[in-house]
Formats: sequence, C-alpha cells, structure tokens
Amino acid sequence: MTELRLISGAALAEPEPAEAAPPPRLLPGRHGMPADLVRAHQRQRLLEAAAAALAEQGYGRLTAARVTELAHVSSRTFYQHFEDLWACVLAAYEEQAARLCDAIETAYTTERGRGLNRIADQSSTAGAGIAAAIEFLAAEPDVARLLSAEPPPQIAALAAARRELIERLGAMLRKALADRDGATPLPGLERRLIGAALAIVSTRAASGDPQRLRDLEPELTELLLASL
Amino acid sequence: MEGVLLAAGELGYRETSVRSILERSGGHRAQFYKDFAGKEDCFAQAYATWIERLCVGVLEAAATTPGWEGGVRAAITRLFEFVVARPAIARALLVEVQIAGEPALARHEAAVERLAAAIDSARADIDPAEAPPEATGVFVVGGIESCAAEALTAGDAARVWDALPELMHLAAGSYFGKEAAEGSFERASIFLEREREHWAAKAAARETEAGE
Repeated sequence: MTELRLISGAALAEPEPAEAAPPPRLLPGRHGMPADLVRAHQRQRLLEAAAAALAEQGYGRLTAARVTELAHVSSRTFYQHFEDLWACVLAAYEEQAARLCDAIETAYTTERGRGLNRIADQSSTAGAGIAAAIEFLAAEPDVARLLSAEPPPQIAALAAARRELIERLGAMLRKALADRDGATPLPGLERRLIGAALAIVSTRAASGDPQRLRDLEPELTELLLASL
Repeated sequence: MEGVLLAAGELGYRETSVRSILERSGGHRAQFYKDFAGKEDCFAQAYATWIERLCVGVLEAAATTPGWEGGVRAAITRLFEFVVARPAIARALLVEVQIAGEPALARHEAAVERLAAAIDSARADIDPAEAPPEATGVFVVGGIESCAAEALTAGDAARVWDALPELMHLAAGSYFGKEAAEGSFERASIFLEREREHWAAKAAARETEAGE
C-alpha cells in the first residue's frame, strides 16, 4: 500500500484508514522518483509523525525534533515543508479533521441509501455518523488524540481549527436530525454536545486503549440524541 | 504556589518558566528547587490545592440548593463566578492542565469524576429500566468544562454566562430527556435574566457611589 501511495496523488490526499503507521522512509540516493512525489511523501510522513509525536509527548512537551525523528527526515527537510512546529501540527489537524468529516458524511449517505425503501429515520442516520466517527478514531488512536485534545490556547490557529471542527460536527449532527418529528434545535446546543463528546473521547483516547473508545459508541449515541 | 497557576494562565504552560513563576510569587530560585522538582511538580502541587478548593465550592453550592436542577444550576453558577473573577487561575485549572503533565491531569480527572458522581444523583429519580448511560455524569461535566474552556481560550471569560441555559438543557436532557431539557432551558434563561438585572443594578449603585 505504501508504494501505491507513492505513485497515486489521490491516495496521498486521502490515505486509507488502515494506513495508520508512518510510511517508511524512501531509500537514500538515486531512486528515480519525481521530486514532487518525494516531497509529497515527506510531507505525509511529517503529518503522520506529528500525530504520533503528540500522542507520545502531549502538547506540553511536543518538539519539532521529535516529529522529524519519527518521520525520518532531517531538520532541514522539516523546515522546507513547514514554518514551525505549529504549522505542521495544524496541517496534520486539518487533514485529519477533514477525513473524520468525510467518514461521517459517507456513513450518512450509506444509511440514507438503505432507508430508501422504508420511512426515513433521522436518528438512525445520526447514529450511523456517530458510529463511523468512533470507528475512525478507534482505528487510529494517534489521530483520536490529535483531534480531541485541547490545544494550547496561545496557538491561535490551532485553537481556531478545533473550534471550526466542533462547529462542523455540530452542523452535521443538526443536518442529520433535520425534520425529525418535534425536533427544535437550539442554536448552540449542538456545539455544547460536541464539546462534551470530545471531552470524553479525549480521556478515552489518552488511555491508549482503542477498545475503550469503541465501547463508548452506544453511550455516546444515546447521549448525543437524548436532548435533541 | 498561586504564582505558577497565574503564570500558566497568563503566559501558557509551555511558556511558563521558573523565573516567570518567581516574578509572580516572590522568593528565590534556590528555595524553589528545594520545594519542587521543577515546573511540572510545582504546577501539580498548586493544582491539587486549587482544584480541591474549586470542587468543594461547587459541590457546596449544589448541596445547599434544593432539588437536582437547582443544585446543578447553582454549581454551574459557582463555577462561572470563579471563571469570571479569576480568569487566569481558571485557565490554568481548566485549560492549561491538559498539557501540564500526568500528575496534574490525574488530579483533573479525579475532580471530573467527583463532580460527575454528584450530578449522577439524578438517577435516584429515574426508573432503573430507563437509566441513562454510565458515562452521563462525565459527559455533562465535560460539556460544562469545555464551555468554560472555550470562553477562557477566547479571552472573554464573561461570555461563559451566555451558555448557562444550553448547559442546563444538556444536563437535564442527558438524564431526563427532551421535555425536561426544554423546561430546564426556560427556567435557566429566566434565572440568567434576573441575575443580569441584579448585576446591572449593583453596577449602577457602584457608579452612583463613586460619583458622590
């Protein structure tokens, strides 16, 4: 799969969930790879290493040195790709946030497709999205920590990216439940629910046991839908 | 020990140095290293003291207010009063703790569990066959905390009050369902309106006093 990603632009943009481990370093010297593919491969390794380093060190101790070490690139290569550590973490965050939202959208579409021959059930659509989100996070524990942990508020762009993710997840929950009988969404409530869900996910993800995240799915589904 | 929380709340934990702690607390570097193994140890010890104080205050507010809903509202109110009165300390306790290392984080989780257990007293009024998920208490506390963290991160602690009705909706809805949630939301909105009128009247009285 790693080789496939090296020669496929689409695969680089949207790596498969199963490919959690950082791809191996390209062999040094002349390997005939086009320079832009080498750069894309390096960048992907750095993004995945950023999530792994964060899971290992936490925001308090995270360093660019550890990210470069895990990505098997030099410090010079790191700064060719990113201005600083936080630019790298932000890029990793945005990429994974987009993948999480895609996973939820795909689950919505599949569930709605299944519902064509029966009465539409918005709760089951929302439930399918929540299940997909939990499975996505449980399959990639480093990504779960990256997306759920509260970043340092001083890193404004990262804090803004987290707020944006909360808004987007809240909007997706609202969309899934739209037109449900008696549903009277309150402006802002979805955001509070997503904030509460991320707090639990963050604690479970920090335990390092993906099963603890998977166990959360039925409870989280019930809690997210109870008051909407 | 307040110095380390002030420094972390004002500068961020990563940017906090022993020097910045001593600038706020007084004392000498040599004494600091006699008392603490380093910044993380100092933060953890200060954290233990202050989170206990905050927890006791919040639980006391809940215990002295009649009814589950009134207790939860009083607890959130006490927390928000602290957030607005001491934003730097609150930011250290609720936001910076996430990056301040395992010892402080363990204290934080213990505090969340304790508050969750208190909120979970709602189960006494629920038929066991319809009991909400086990994680409900932690979910509700997480929602309240993330809301406070959002206001503190934005540098506008006072805006935390805007979320009180939504949080009461979340708390009541998680245990008792949608209808109860809507009632709690309405009552919290009325409560907040009255509180705001009360604060405005107090501010006006202070201005009059200052003018005389």
